[in-house]
Amino acid sequence: MKFIKKNLNLFSLKRWIRNKPVDFIVTMFLMLLILWVATLIVSWFILEANWNVVSDNLDLYAIGSYPADQKWRPMIWMLSLSTLTIITLTWRRKGILQKSLPWIWILMLPSGLVLMAGGPGLIPVASHKWGGLALTLILALSSAFIAMPLGILLALGRRSKLAIIKYSCGIYIDSMRSVPLIAILFFGQLLIPLFLPVEFDINRVVRAILAFAVFAAAYVAEDVRGGLQAIPKTQVEAAEALGLNPKQIAILIMLPQALRTAIPALTNQAIGLLQNTSLMAILGLVELLGISRSLLANPNFMGRYLEVYVWIAAVYWLICTSMALLARRLEQELDPNILTIKSNEISN
Amino acid sequence: MKSVIKAKGVVKTFQGGKKALDEVSLEVGKGEVTVIMGPSGSGKSTLIRTFNGLESIDEGIIEVLGVELDSYHDERKVMRIRRRVGMVFQQFNLFPHLSIIDNITIAPIKVQKRNKEEVASKAFQLLAQMGIAEHAMKFPSQLSGGEQQRVAIARALAMEPELILFDEPTSALDPERVKEVLDAMKQLANNGMTMVVVTHEIGFAREVADKVVFMDEGKIVEISAPEDFFSHAQNERSRRFLNQMM
Repeated sequence: MKFIKKNLNLFSLKRWIRNKPVDFIVTMFLMLLILWVATLIVSWFILEANWNVVSDNLDLYAIGSYPADQKWRPMIWMLSLSTLTIITLTWRRKGILQKSLPWIWILMLPSGLVLMAGGPGLIPVASHKWGGLALTLILALSSAFIAMPLGILLALGRRSKLAIIKYSCGIYIDSMRSVPLIAILFFGQLLIPLFLPVEFDINRVVRAILAFAVFAAAYVAEDVRGGLQAIPKTQVEAAEALGLNPKQIAILIMLPQALRTAIPALTNQAIGLLQNTSLMAILGLVELLGISRSLLANPNFMGRYLEVYVWIAAVYWLICTSMALLARRLEQELDPNILTIKSNEISN
Repeated sequence: MKSVIKAKGVVKTFQGGKKALDEVSLEVGKGEVTVIMGPSGSGKSTLIRTFNGLESIDEGIIEVLGVELDSYHDERKVMRIRRRVGMVFQQFNLFPHLSIIDNITIAPIKVQKRNKEEVASKAFQLLAQMGIAEHAMKFPSQLSGGEQQRVAIARALAMEPELILFDEPTSALDPERVKEVLDAMKQLANNGMTMVVVTHEIGFAREVADKVVFMDEGKIVEISAPEDFFSHAQNERSRRFLNQMM
């Protein structure tokens, strides 16, 4: 109470009204507006919203129509992904765990694919049964996994001295960037099967992943090229003077520096890619947005648009924020000044 | 005396027609310290950079350690030279993403395919020789300019070169840091290293150089012993330059 009295001093309030009346009126009006909107939202959340469209279907959002008796497989994968995220973000102690984290991260994708699709000792589950958040993550991670090396090669290619490599990489990048993503997805889903013989069937998830990958690679290439351009020419000269060959210069000197510079831009791409996987809902894959749309078509949950979209917005928000935080963590990890402190700790 | 560099009639024209090197001929003997001086834009940096193929030439022949370079600029020959010739730059040009020890060992390991442990212990020894052994695990951004330049010298030495090129090694340093780098270079010269040094440090030239080469407008104007050059330079342009410097 003392605090409020001190800050809501009536004397100064009077002086405020007298000295700046317009200021006062606008402030009051805006405060009322905010209050009104907040009340509406809170009362909707508590009184009107019926969250059983979310709570009854948590499994569907997570894994879609994945066979129920096998549902532990995608669940374990996603659980370990989130555990790994939390460990990476919070665990600061140096040790064996810290050193093995990058490898565990790299293993997450293949292990996820094996768990989802089946492999040694696991019953195969066809990809048309995949769905929900698990499918969203598989789509985003797999295409990023392909797009990264492809994009790096394109970026290096665009700087090549050989005209044919330089121009073909340039043409690829520029044409990919001038086509909307949805067109490439349509092409992958609807047109490619028309060109291929009937018995030659690539499954839809793979086609989607490839479409995302070839699209994202062009953008990755430009981000990496930006990083490469930020490296002073003298770095190359120093490396040349030491007798390193062009390949060694690219891998040992240029790329490590370029990729570090490109992390913020690449994070943007990764987040964009994850959100763009929702376009597959239009093309009939039941990833997170797709499953939500089919739930809304269910007569039991008719018209519950707000609840469903608020819910999946929250899920997307959580994932994208984690990605941003992970990227910041990676940036810190690669910052030379922090690296120095670490190596000091070792040497002392 | 065996010659390490033999340049004959070297011409280099930059895009736009400016002649950076105009019929330059120079010979550097084994164990010799050659200092190249001259006003900015006189072509001294360009000349030193042709010795390890960082710049190609348009005419003439340069023979470095028995390998001949000409206007064709054969990459394989250039590589053979670079493996045996060290270079130290004005801006140090250390690799910022690598620790000091990695900066020094990367080339011996990757280019000469030498044993990692052997190279690392050699690197520590070189750092100790340069007086900066305690910085081995740090990163370049943590070191002062003078320390970085001494790392750069150690990096060049790690390749066990038969010749080291110095391209204005002290020009980017704070005045109080110049001495530590020059001392390291003097030590090298005393150990019999063949060195070609582009510098404005008259004291260094006087004390260490076997000969001073004066360049102006892409031409070698004068080659003299340092005692002659600084007391009674033969050429009018050399004298004018020295008057401005001192």
